[in-house]
Amino acid sequence: MSSHRLSTGGQIDRARSVKFTFDGKALTGHPGDTLASALLANGIQLVGRSFKYHRPRGILTAGAAEPNALVTTGTGGRTEANTRATMIELHDGLNARSQNRWPSLGFDIGAVNGLLSPFLSAGFYYKTFMWPAGFWEKVYEPLIRKAAGLGKASYEADPDSYEKCWAHCDLLVIGAGPSGLAAALTAGRAGARVLLADEGFAFGGTLLTDRDARLSAMLAELEALPNVQCLPRTTVIGWYDDNVFGAVERVQKHVAEPDPGQPVERLWRIIAKQAILASGAEERPLVFGGNDIPGVMMAGAMRSYLNRQAVAPGKRVAVFTTNNAGYRTAADLEAAGVDVAAIVDPRATNEPGWNGKAKVLTNACIVDALGGKSVSGVSIAGASGVQRFEADAVAMSGGWSPVIHLACHRGAKPVWSDTHAAFLAPERQEGLSLAGAAAGLWSTEACLSDGSRKAAEALQLLGFAKVEPAFAEADAAQPAATPFWFAKGSKGKAFVDYQNDVNLKDLGLAVREGYGDVELAKRYTTNGMATDQGKLSNINAIGILAEARGVSPADVGTTTFRPFYTPVSFGALTGASRGKHFQPVRKSPLHDWAKKNGATFVETGLWYRAAWFPRAGETTWRESVDREVLNIRKNAGICDVSTLGKIEIFGRDAATFLDRVYCNGFAKLPVGKARYGIMLREDGMIYDDGTTSRFSDDHFFMTTTTALAAGVLTHLEFCAQTLWPELEVHFASSTDQWAQMAVAGPKSRAILSEIVDEDISDAAFPFMSARTVSLFGGKLEGRLFRISFSGELAYELGVPAGYGESVADAIMQTGEKHGICAYGAEALGVMRIEKGHVTHAEINGTVTPGDLGFGRMVSTTKPDFIGKVMLAREGMQASDRPRLVGVKPLDPKASFRTGSHILSDGAAATLENDQGYVTSSCYSPNLGHTIGLALIKNGPERIGEKVMIWNGLRNEFTDGVICSPVFIDPENEKLHA
Amino acid sequence: MPDLPTLRPALAGEPALDSTTIALQALPEGHLLQIMGATERAVVEAAIAAAGLEGSDVREAGYRQWYVVGDKQLSSKTLRELTSALPAGTFLSDQSHGRVRIRLSGPHATKLLSTGTAVDLHDAAFPEGRSAITLFGHLSVHLTRKSAAGFELIVLRSFAEALYEELHAHAA
Repeated sequence: MSSHRLSTGGQIDRARSVKFTFDGKALTGHPGDTLASALLANGIQLVGRSFKYHRPRGILTAGAAEPNALVTTGTGGRTEANTRATMIELHDGLNARSQNRWPSLGFDIGAVNGLLSPFLSAGFYYKTFMWPAGFWEKVYEPLIRKAAGLGKASYEADPDSYEKCWAHCDLLVIGAGPSGLAAALTAGRAGARVLLADEGFAFGGTLLTDRDARLSAMLAELEALPNVQCLPRTTVIGWYDDNVFGAVERVQKHVAEPDPGQPVERLWRIIAKQAILASGAEERPLVFGGNDIPGVMMAGAMRSYLNRQAVAPGKRVAVFTTNNAGYRTAADLEAAGVDVAAIVDPRATNEPGWNGKAKVLTNACIVDALGGKSVSGVSIAGASGVQRFEADAVAMSGGWSPVIHLACHRGAKPVWSDTHAAFLAPERQEGLSLAGAAAGLWSTEACLSDGSRKAAEALQLLGFAKVEPAFAEADAAQPAATPFWFAKGSKGKAFVDYQNDVNLKDLGLAVREGYGDVELAKRYTTNGMATDQGKLSNINAIGILAEARGVSPADVGTTTFRPFYTPVSFGALTGASRGKHFQPVRKSPLHDWAKKNGATFVETGLWYRAAWFPRAGETTWRESVDREVLNIRKNAGICDVSTLGKIEIFGRDAATFLDRVYCNGFAKLPVGKARYGIMLREDGMIYDDGTTSRFSDDHFFMTTTTALAAGVLTHLEFCAQTLWPELEVHFASSTDQWAQMAVAGPKSRAILSEIVDEDISDAAFPFMSARTVSLFGGKLEGRLFRISFSGELAYELGVPAGYGESVADAIMQTGEKHGICAYGAEALGVMRIEKGHVTHAEINGTVTPGDLGFGRMVSTTKPDFIGKVMLAREGMQASDRPRLVGVKPLDPKASFRTGSHILSDGAAATLENDQGYVTSSCYSPNLGHTIGLALIKNGPERIGEKVMIWNGLRNEFTDGVICSPVFIDPENEKLHA
Repeated sequence: MPDLPTLRPALAGEPALDSTTIALQALPEGHLLQIMGATERAVVEAAIAAAGLEGSDVREAGYRQWYVVGDKQLSSKTLRELTSALPAGTFLSDQSHGRVRIRLSGPHATKLLSTGTAVDLHDAAFPEGRSAITLFGHLSVHLTRKSAAGFELIVLRSFAEALYEELHAHAA
């Protein structure tokens, strides 16, 4: 045991202990611990195996960038893989397991990969597994995925709930370190609505590590300000357009048993008028041999564990540093009674002010950490050659990289600063400014001052009068930083990217093989990929690439920062939209009527539509549908058509407007009449169809297909608002206002006559009539339309939705003696195919009116309508375009399926011989065989031609013949009855 | 002649919720009229006064669009009177059955709404009487603040059950 808990100190509650397990072993810690600190306190430094070589790995950091200490937590549906031990707040019952090892963490067979490492360099997979091509997917990839990898996801459902919410503020402060706290205090005191988010469970950032005495008063003041909302355990994950930020709050990830009434995680979408990024800076690792051995740790992390959780990394620590951070760590280690073997500094002179016990070696560097599953010593190269020092832990600090990810999520590019030896983001962008260490300031006083100033600036932009900064101006002068990219002369593997096992030599190889560009090097070596996205490794990799290419890091540049900053669970993204609430259910006002009549429903978009109404003894859907169809053509049927889109169109110019959006004429449509209309897109193809009726000079009523109801309304609004703003026209969706039922069949008039007060004889109410009618002896008003999709004598009756069920009941009741039946969308489909009516199966986005036989409907006299110009193109009028016809099997007992292709008789079954395809098909109970509608080249000229109907997917061939698309009542006698 | 048709409210059978933190209830399906074309609220208010609907509430519902809402069911005759009271260029579409009103109130109402809507519900940004067309989750709603902790949501009838059940699930 080398890492251990000190007997005093720390910000933990020693009076209480917390029980948890790691790899099945029962352990204890204290409130205030993370899983990482508790493992270290228990002397556990080996916590995982690396991705590729299965090398023993320990805890490197104390924060979100942790690449090594990835564990699986929870059991069953709560299993969560690849969680960072450094971010897990210790809680009772926490069950954590190490990953990527077999049979155990201590003895891992996969470690044999380390011996094979000379063969496993960058690009190995690309070079080795190229042949045979088919092997990649079937053999190589599954094997590699099995050997290399992270944790495994659970197959069980997550029992917890998640939530999404919106928040608004004047100022969002991201990060509650010195800069963020100063900003929040400044804005909070000024009365602004402030949101302060920090990924940690305790606010303070480096003030916690520094044990700064001012912190508790600052936090108490923020708590007391009603206009400041504090969000601990909340990681801001992305910056989006309109200054919207995404954030994930870990609401109940730190409790033994989540309260089922609360979400475990909450996804925030924060709309901020202004924001301050005070995300601090990430300490850079140093690249030397064995820098991944458990016990090698970031200097800042070591100091954080020491001061916050009273955990010492070992008994004797070697410090390797290029800046004052290592000296600070050394001082605190010595103060806590831990020996510091040496401070190794590659700079020519040591940090001014060092007065500790440890010896400082300048112009020196650690070339190798020694050991296997823990550190046993270090090799230090200096003026006097290479010396070996005994040590059981190593602290390293290669300088600081501002955490600028969020500031670059909307396209800003990081810029290299020689004085900072770091990439910086633009300090001020619209809506977001950087403060403190994120802006390249290193001292606490400078950060407090900068946070205050940036908050005051942001509020002034919002019109706040005088804003008093919470902290005074401080001297921002700081010494220039010295970059140090790697130690020369290392014997062991020097890791750049810990998570992906990318070492120094891999990057050199990438440059030699022509992949020196930062984007190519990333893909070639995998540096900067996976869950940590190169938070620790990217800048070192850039420095190493720059050195290998003999250029500045400025010339290498960075890869692109994209949301999310840290991994986000699918649960948080899903929120409450799961199970029953996955998507809303849309119900027709006749839903319950259909249900009580025994309907089987089908999902059509969000709607639930009655598909058919099975009766006792019917065992297949076809039996029900055949019965419904035959009965309607003989007697009558009633069908819910409420889901079709309905739009009220008002205004002085409504007729002119309709004339422009439909390709056929509407201006002269008389009041009281309906007309079938075809709406084209600008490209001349059909967009949607439906009937539009005229109720008064300035009031029309349009119906659309169910699928495009919303699309058509949007289209109309677009036309009115942007194409022809001079037209006075208004739209109101009335889809939901009306319960609409089709009553079809030869007895439909007799049935409706008992309900409708007016005369609806053919003379008084001929085909295509549309009027408001009185119902039930004046007790109700409705809208009656004499239109037909089935080809039968038919009406559509619309009544206010709340009366729908009652009116449908009444129609069933009066229709009983006439043999009425309820019918669904399937029977509707069969009847419209029998009649040759089209739907979106035919209106597939590539057909013109002419293709569907509506060529003569297209107005030649209107000055303009949408699609007119493009419809005139040669290709749109070509006679060999696929055009609508019917198809039927030669042998009535034979059948075919929708989607089958048409071949000329005797032609080979190849795509080159394709003549068209079957757009709709069904069994026609009236004709006793399968019928279909098809789009076939020169179709109407080929009626009577024998063809082969070919289903290439199922290898089915059916002899067929091209016929008229109208299979029933071509003279329209039924329609006009 | 069959029986007199009876009205069936869209949310009939949905339980009301009344806890110390949240109250949720379907409002009576009285009248909800969509008025289009008028640019001024006063024009709409004058027309509804002329038709004897002083108790109705006028709410903004988009550019030159208004909702007139109230608990009373209106006869076809009253609707025709109101239509003729509207000035030229102003139109009425009866949506009394097409839209359903839901009342949500209580100290947690704002918090619950913020799980679904991006509208800033802070008292200063969304004071009493203010309306907005927004989404609650996947559903389009017309939202009005009726009091400090009381809101009214107007939703398409076909989605009323889905919205009500979603609110109910969030509130429970």
